[in-house]
Amino acid sequence: MYLNRFVDGEGKYIDDIKFDNMLYMSIVRSPYAHAKIKNVKGGLNSNELKAYYTGTDHAMREPVLAIDEVSYVGQCIAAVFSENRYESEDLLNSVEVDYEPLDAVSSIDDALKKPAIHKGMKDNILDVEEAGNKFNERDINYDLKVSDTIFMDRVLANPIETRGVVAYYRDGVLHVYVSSQSVHRLKGGLMKSLNLKDNDIIVHHVDTGGAFGLKALLFPEYVIACYAAMKYKKPVKWIETRTEHLQSSHAGRGVRADITLYARNNGKITGLDGTVYLDTGAYFADADLVDMGNVIHEVTGPYFIENAHLTGKYVLTDKALNGYYRGAGKPEASIIMERMIDLLADKLKMDIADIRLENATEKPFKSPLGLDMNYPTKPFLEAALKYFDYYKLSKKENLGISLGVLDEDTAPGESCRIIVKNGKVKVYLGGDVSGQGHELFVQEILGNEFGIEQSLISLDYDDTDILKEGTGTWGSRSGITHGSVLMKTAEVIKNDVIKKFGKYDSDLLLKNEFNEYYYYKIDYNANSVNFNMVSSDINDINSIKIYVYYDLGKVLNLKNVLGSIHGGGLQAIGEVLSETLRYTDDGQLITNNIADAGLLTADKIPQYDIKIVENNSEFPDKAKGIGESTMIGIPSAFARSVELQTGKRVSKFPIDDISLFNKCVE
Amino acid sequence: MMVNIDVNGKEYKKDIEPRMLLVSFLRDELNLTGTHIGCDTSNCGACTVLMDGKSIKSCTVLAVQANNHKITTIESDDPKLDVIKQAYVDENGLQCGFCTPGMIMQTFYILENNENADEEYIKKNLRGNLCRCTGYKSILDSIKKAEEKMKGEISVSK
Repeated sequence: MYLNRFVDGEGKYIDDIKFDNMLYMSIVRSPYAHAKIKNVKGGLNSNELKAYYTGTDHAMREPVLAIDEVSYVGQCIAAVFSENRYESEDLLNSVEVDYEPLDAVSSIDDALKKPAIHKGMKDNILDVEEAGNKFNERDINYDLKVSDTIFMDRVLANPIETRGVVAYYRDGVLHVYVSSQSVHRLKGGLMKSLNLKDNDIIVHHVDTGGAFGLKALLFPEYVIACYAAMKYKKPVKWIETRTEHLQSSHAGRGVRADITLYARNNGKITGLDGTVYLDTGAYFADADLVDMGNVIHEVTGPYFIENAHLTGKYVLTDKALNGYYRGAGKPEASIIMERMIDLLADKLKMDIADIRLENATEKPFKSPLGLDMNYPTKPFLEAALKYFDYYKLSKKENLGISLGVLDEDTAPGESCRIIVKNGKVKVYLGGDVSGQGHELFVQEILGNEFGIEQSLISLDYDDTDILKEGTGTWGSRSGITHGSVLMKTAEVIKNDVIKKFGKYDSDLLLKNEFNEYYYYKIDYNANSVNFNMVSSDINDINSIKIYVYYDLGKVLNLKNVLGSIHGGGLQAIGEVLSETLRYTDDGQLITNNIADAGLLTADKIPQYDIKIVENNSEFPDKAKGIGESTMIGIPSAFARSVELQTGKRVSKFPIDDISLFNKCVE
Repeated sequence: MMVNIDVNGKEYKKDIEPRMLLVSFLRDELNLTGTHIGCDTSNCGACTVLMDGKSIKSCTVLAVQANNHKITTIESDDPKLDVIKQAYVDENGLQCGFCTPGMIMQTFYILENNENADEEYIKKNLRGNLCRCTGYKSILDSIKKAEEKMKGEISVSK
């Protein structure tokens, strides 16, 4: 069982993969946030390897090795290789790079004022996107408006296992072992980068030591390692150091939103407009479109607002690129809306629950920004408030609340293979487990479906050969898509047993051999509605209490669910209090080690009051999503709890007020 | 240079570079890959092992400093370690499993050094071990369960 494997230290993570004659790769990185490269001598550099790694052929995409200039600290310039890990680091000094430093831009605000960081651009706006219908405030019905700027600084995934890859070219096929959320996405990306054909490459999943969105992505270092493996005809391993991770891995959040709400005196919001700025870092990345899309299409969340329009501006800065972090735009959307609705409530002297009830809906609806809300939100909010006795509790505690939508990235579905052999059942899933403990629900579901002992079932490492297609582990989709495709594949296997023997029983299954592949297609994104409350005493870090009221559909495995809530809960608190990447004005990273990055430690565990509601979904396994709900719901509710005590409006994350929670910063 | 290091009760004599870190010695020389590297700056604790019974971060100790010392890693077959491991399994004290060996070795250290470790003490002594998945709650539950079991076993044997 997977838990035993890990407690015995027998997990097979990427740095545990070894081959004979393997080369270790180290990367020469830019020490400057912005500089011309006048000359590079030594190592594998862009004089030899000119390649890109984005799915979209954007004019401002990043080369895997810098060409003529660098635009952030940590950008890859050259790679060096040695059979000895330590020697490969020594070789970094053998590469000569001649720089001419240039002025750098280190924030959205800076970028909007300063000259373009890239040649050929008139300013630092990479792209502009619109959502909803533009409206004139003269044409809508409102009594008052409130405006504010909500800023969520960058947060990096920081899984305890950093990024890493092993590339091995053997018998004419490039084998890539990688710590990843999706071997299929990486295969597609590597094929495009290195101009490979489908049969030229197999990507293998290994144990992944945490991911949080980051490891869904393809990175320059993976392309470089693959190229080197083919060039040198030797296996090549690259393992990121934590400093490299903090400097170069693609960070999430980094969103500024200038928002105006238009409302009636009774609290009914009739209009929302404004501009959302995304800190894209130095170059275009595919994740930009997802992050921005989730923000501008989901901002109105569980509330029906008749008139809504947002302009999304992608802003270039001299920093590492934008990527995914748990929620990828969905938490940002919710934090923006929930902070604004609290501001409106204060202006109207309304209770924060009453104003939400006024704007929640009795029916499913489609928002003007394009979000299909599949469930009514008002009855859910009423039930949650009642369950926690909100109106009574809010008189005693400093309570913040948040009503949120979890838009689950269920499309386009997921793949599965089940192999029954020698009395054992092996499962391969197209969404690569990145440390959420999926084996627990795999065993629970298949144990029930097949009527067999759970210990006979294992979730095995997949690759792009055993599963020709596959999607990935992100967007709170695993419970729904993995659970459902498992049930569908199990059904096919049971039918195989019936076809062969005229009936199904577990002995017939286990005493014979079966092998079936299934792709369960889903052509839309499902969603669900969730509620959080947070109370706190700002003088005591251990006072933070998180109330959870989530609709999870059918709970597949309670341990998975609680793990997700407790883990996400602490990440959400961290994001509000301390967790971020900090840069100097000239783009040097200040938070160069994991302690400085503000991750919370074991003495900061909050208290929980968790209520799970099980309104079954329409999917075969009846589940709804969970992974991102805590990140969506907790930050704004916690911010409210804090501002009730300080009297200072919270519109910036992390709050960065060292007088708060003195025990936190001791 | 030559070192003689006892790892999990077995002596290893090896000729190594003076700059080799203990974690590299364990992982690369002895192929004991249960000890992980998470941060290189002794903050995350994924590399925690015991040296003569004391918990240390093997990413910031040179292998030569362990010369003639006893190292205990996650691969040790100490029965007390098995009790802790089982408690982590029972309480689901892990998700991705990467921080787990370090957490378990630190748990071993905590429980060996304080028979009556209360929640406050456990939390304080876990501050040098980071976990990104669990929010530490199930880890704390695992440690408390291991402590209960160990106490139970001690009183039975008495």
